[in-house]
Amino acid sequence: MPFPKRPAAPAVLCALAATTVLLASAGCTSNEPQPSADRGDGGRAKGGITVSASDDTCAVSATSAKSGTLVFEVTNDGSKVTEFYLYRADGTAIAGEVENIGPGLTRRLVVRAQPGTYTTACKPGMSGEGIRARFTVTGSGTANAGADQRLLDQAAGRYRAYVTGEVGKLLGGTKQFVTAYKAGEYDRARELYAPVRAHWERIEPVAESFGDLDPKMDLREADLAEGQTWTGWHLLEKDLWWPAGAPASKRLTDPERAKYADQLLADTRDLHARVATLKYQPDQMANGAKELLDEVATGKVTGEEEIWSHTDLYDFQANVEGARVAFDSLRPVVNTKDPALGRVIEQRFTALQKDLDRYRRGDGFVSYTDLSKAQVKRLSDSVNALAEPLSRLTAAVLV
Amino acid sequence: MLANYLIGLREGLEASLVVVILVAYLVRSDRRRLVPRIWAGVAVAVGVSLAFGALLTFGPRGLSFEAQEAIGGSLSILAVGFVTWMVFWMARSARGLSSELRGQIDRAAGGGRTSLVVVAMLAVGREGLETALFLWAATQAATRTAQGATSTVAPLAGAALGIVTAVIVGYLIYRGALRLNLSKFFTWTGAFLILVAAGVVAYGVHDLQEARILPGLNNLAFDVSDTIAPTSWLGTLLKGTLNFSPATTWLEAGVWVAYVVPVMFLFLRQIRRNNRPSTAAAPSVPASPASPASSAS
Ligand SMILES: [Cu+2]
Repeated sequence: MPFPKRPAAPAVLCALAATTVLLASAGCTSNEPQPSADRGDGGRAKGGITVSASDDTCAVSATSAKSGTLVFEVTNDGSKVTEFYLYRADGTAIAGEVENIGPGLTRRLVVRAQPGTYTTACKPGMSGEGIRARFTVTGSGTANAGADQRLLDQAAGRYRAYVTGEVGKLLGGTKQFVTAYKAGEYDRARELYAPVRAHWERIEPVAESFGDLDPKMDLREADLAEGQTWTGWHLLEKDLWWPAGAPASKRLTDPERAKYADQLLADTRDLHARVATLKYQPDQMANGAKELLDEVATGKVTGEEEIWSHTDLYDFQANVEGARVAFDSLRPVVNTKDPALGRVIEQRFTALQKDLDRYRRGDGFVSYTDLSKAQVKRLSDSVNALAEPLSRLTAAVLV
Repeated sequence: MLANYLIGLREGLEASLVVVILVAYLVRSDRRRLVPRIWAGVAVAVGVSLAFGALLTFGPRGLSFEAQEAIGGSLSILAVGFVTWMVFWMARSARGLSSELRGQIDRAAGGGRTSLVVVAMLAVGREGLETALFLWAATQAATRTAQGATSTVAPLAGAALGIVTAVIVGYLIYRGALRLNLSKFFTWTGAFLILVAAGVVAYGVHDLQEARILPGLNNLAFDVSDTIAPTSWLGTLLKGTLNFSPATTWLEAGVWVAYVVPVMFLFLRQIRRNNRPSTAAAPSVPASPASPASSAS
């Protein structure tokens, strides 16, 4: 028998249960619209926002409303069937719609709207782009009490764009690096090593959030655990800058080189794909900035990260840049919450960058081994000076 | 008036076609006594929809846009599952019908008894919520304008006439289906139901795209809205029967094909098998000496 005998009863129960759950949780909204009129920002005293649609007009009674549950009463005063849409800022994603509003009828759209910019549209004849207008939802939203949700969303959007760009460049650079390395063009590979890794170092907190990928790609020989296989950037680094006294017999063979290089490229592809699905919360961004500074303090300022190539200052610069972008993305939020803290962090970033700029050479930096003890100390002090106010960023953004 | 009439016609057709074919099938297969089960399913769906509509309109709570899409989407998928199941169930018992094996029919009907109610309920209920909201909107408009504005019950009357037309069309299809010979009846109604179900799947996918659960809302495979306006007669009929949307996304089109091709193939193969044994039932076995076992099986 290809079909189960009595599928009916369980399926009905399932449908009812699903419906009940939907209604009980997010599905239902209050029929009483939030009184936006008493806040003086549009909307009517009773019944929410009215929309009067005809065949060539779409009159919305308000151009803005307070975030929360919004009720649009859409009346079709025209002669064609119409639809009413509320689009999110990008003008394509639908926040809500009512279809099939016949002439003479009023139908109601209930949406729970977060703060942001929206577009309203009536579509007489139910086709085409419709008659559009801007609509703003103000207020603080619900996800972060006290914080301005719109600013936080924008901050996350900016940081997301940055991370996406960097991981894209990382993938492109890694392809070039792997190609050169596998072809035996070791000078070219050594040249590419630090600049390509900079894309990794800029987004390290994000990369580290994938607990399985980070050790595969960025593990140092010193941190290798008993029985763990060493793969990733630093394995290739050691091979490219093979230490003077080390026995040549231990060096990678050509098939091994190809294998580990391919592995690195595959892992980078994996990272690239996974990053595309990430969403960023303000606390992750603020903590991420602090983590990048900690990376500098524990690895780069000590010269432990790039123990064979001594390109630590490239990583240093990249970590600072990544932290700076995370901070800059959050800056509008910081400005509304704790402008003094924002100014201090800004100053310390600038001071640290000035210190670092002294060691630039050409497109890059001097070798870590060229630094004197006093110079290392000075860099370390600058890092610590920034780390302290930066550690207060998360609390300032969220509380 | 015409616009509201077309809305009623479309929603009515969507809901009634599956029911009509089920009734025709039961009558054709001499199981008229099971027809009340279908009406019971329809009645439950209409009752629940109206109660729901009234509750959502006059009660303290409304249904959010997201919930409407989610409920509509899940009912659509359930409905398709059941319609597909029914199509194959009908095709299989068609074999029993043509070789007059009563016992087989009854056994099959045992499995289908409860599902008949469910299929009817889902087919009507899927559109019911939407239509109920529309009807309540119409009655509200009527009461509001009765207090001293222009038109009164015209929108409601238009929609009601549309639904009545849909029922009449459904009845005509029912009469036509009764006049077909049995094997034609199974082939045509089954194939038609598969097309209807594919349309429902595509429509459900579109809803999920609008709710942003699935991507690709703006990647259109084709847009013939200019030629077949969604509010025109042709657009109404195509939408009401096959759930055809003049502006179709790639994902919708892909899902439609991915449903129709294998299901239609399996269905037609089943139908062909049904027709074969009734002619091959006469002793035409020894054609191949290599398969002596087939005469014993
Ligand atoms: Cu519909």
